[in-house]
Amino acid sequence: MTLELRGIPAAPGSAIGAPWIHQPSDSDAAVRSTLPTAAAAAAAELRTMAAGLRADGRDDEAEILEAQALMAGDPELLGSATSAMDGGTDVVAAVNDAGEAVAATFESLEDEVLSARAADVRDVCARIARHLVGGEAPRLERRSVVVAADLPPSVTVELDRALLAGIALEGGSRTSHAAILARGLGIPAVVGVPDLVRHARAAAELAVDGDAGRLVIDPDDRVRAEMASHAAAHGDRRVADAAFAGRLLATADGHRVTCAANIGEPGDAAAAFAAGAEAIGLFRTEFAFAGRASAPTEDEQAAAYASVFEAARGAQVVVRLADIGGDKPLPYVPIPTETNPFLGVRAIRLAASHPDLFPTQVRAILVASARTGRQASIMAPMVADAGDAAIVRGLVRDALAAVPDAPTPRVGIMVEVPSAVLLADELAREVDFMSIGTNDLTAYLLAADRTNAALAERQDPCHPAVLRAVARVVEAAAAAGDCAVAVCGEMAGDPVGACLLVGLGVDELSMEPAAFGAVKRAVAGRRLDELRALGTAAQAAPSAAAVRALMAA
Amino acid sequence: MAEREVEVRNPSGLHARPAASFVKAAGAFTADVRVTNLTRDAEKSASAKSVLGVMGLGVARGHQIRIVATGDDAAAAVTTLTDLVAAGLGETIEEA
Repeated sequence: MTLELRGIPAAPGSAIGAPWIHQPSDSDAAVRSTLPTAAAAAAAELRTMAAGLRADGRDDEAEILEAQALMAGDPELLGSATSAMDGGTDVVAAVNDAGEAVAATFESLEDEVLSARAADVRDVCARIARHLVGGEAPRLERRSVVVAADLPPSVTVELDRALLAGIALEGGSRTSHAAILARGLGIPAVVGVPDLVRHARAAAELAVDGDAGRLVIDPDDRVRAEMASHAAAHGDRRVADAAFAGRLLATADGHRVTCAANIGEPGDAAAAFAAGAEAIGLFRTEFAFAGRASAPTEDEQAAAYASVFEAARGAQVVVRLADIGGDKPLPYVPIPTETNPFLGVRAIRLAASHPDLFPTQVRAILVASARTGRQASIMAPMVADAGDAAIVRGLVRDALAAVPDAPTPRVGIMVEVPSAVLLADELAREVDFMSIGTNDLTAYLLAADRTNAALAERQDPCHPAVLRAVARVVEAAAAAGDCAVAVCGEMAGDPVGACLLVGLGVDELSMEPAAFGAVKRAVAGRRLDELRALGTAAQAAPSAAAVRALMAA
Repeated sequence: MAEREVEVRNPSGLHARPAASFVKAAGAFTADVRVTNLTRDAEKSASAKSVLGVMGLGVARGHQIRIVATGDDAAAAVTTLTDLVAAGLGETIEEA
């Protein structure tokens, strides 16, 4: 019987295939190999896959597998497994226990980068265990939708691409390794589907809809037809989108909007400009703070920021002050335990309790600006009212006194707290620009946790309440005169959302560079007056789904 | 026996790629080489030839590590490895 499950859309496109359930090897199977042989075979296999990824230019994924190849031959791992075997433990259990102990150590160090590596260690041990029992490499025999609780990157890479139709995971998030890899490889994927593995066991066929975040068990003819036309359209769309990536972002009648990129690492800047960015609309700086025991110094930060200013060659770069909170605690920014860190002492709210954090960061941004001769744009996250905006301006004023040869920066705020929308008139007079963070704003306006898959329908930023908030901010900025409005949430990278934002009068859309083509093509297909009328009509719609229906009409 | 202390100054510490470079270099010596992260836990050491052991020390930028070697080429191992760490393990060190 046809049954529809909801999840989180992780990679676009849709596909139908037989369920193929990935699970770790059967530990009861007879052992057919020795530990050194199995470990060497696992390492060799990982190195081969890494080399294949390198040849495809996928260096980041290749590095994960190269590190895993080294782990597979690790003397301490194999040593502790061997001593457990001497104590009578069976070899497969010994390898898995040894890996588990290492993974637990990584997780105990409260270091985000190392914690993420724990999954890689477990994956390596599962691979060695498979070689021990002479298990076959996972192989698809027909066009399949791969189902798993979570899927390690090494398994994703080794599956036959010609038969890998789609990916559906019970766990995971848009940012898990499997989701990133699926997007990179163009495989439709849905993650966070509750109870998926149980349903998939009984299914003959699965349909993945990676755009809507939907998984259909045993699709009927109606779903099948819908998916087939969707899949064909998706293939055509990718080709058509790519043709637009390098163009300017403008409506059919020539109304220009700045096309900017969101980046999370200094190294991403050059690629963003190569992909067609006119500016960096959101440079997240958490990278400088994560995975370390002490705060980054002013010089360390300045060097990282300067490299982005250099890559921008005079184009605007919006540096967002660190958005640190209790959800990802840092050893040197103690935050008392909070029941809800997303509504807690985070981002600019840390200015009072951590008096060095932001002054150091703002000085570092200005040092980088002075060193490269480029004007910086400094943006504060989680600003709730004019009092918060005054704190930001105070930080910039003090830093300018310390770095007098820096060009005076543009000062802006993120609009993501609903109070900032209501107070947009006052805020617009205080700052040079406002950038609407539609992800958090949607969650806060609709009281829907972004990480809760059961609320997926309430997380659509094309909701009339969010559109009215955007319209309100645009109006306030226009009244203040010299204040620009950008949007840097995922809505800006969604073709439908982007069209609405242009219609609402936003000056700049900042998104992941991968979205440039689709957004530019969608906006180029409409006239400004048409988008304005849609923007007005959409604000009166009864739901986000109704807004999307209106845009599709 | 040879022993030296050095501060890790490259941006990603002894995680990821720098840990791999360090372990590969250590593997070239016959001496038994052990590493301690003095900043985090001076009581815990790991084999310099184990990438999992070295990563498990949680060495971040700014941490002080001690390298101790015993065996035939102990002195050469300690010198080579401390020099490699001081030079940034293939990463650029931004002067503080």
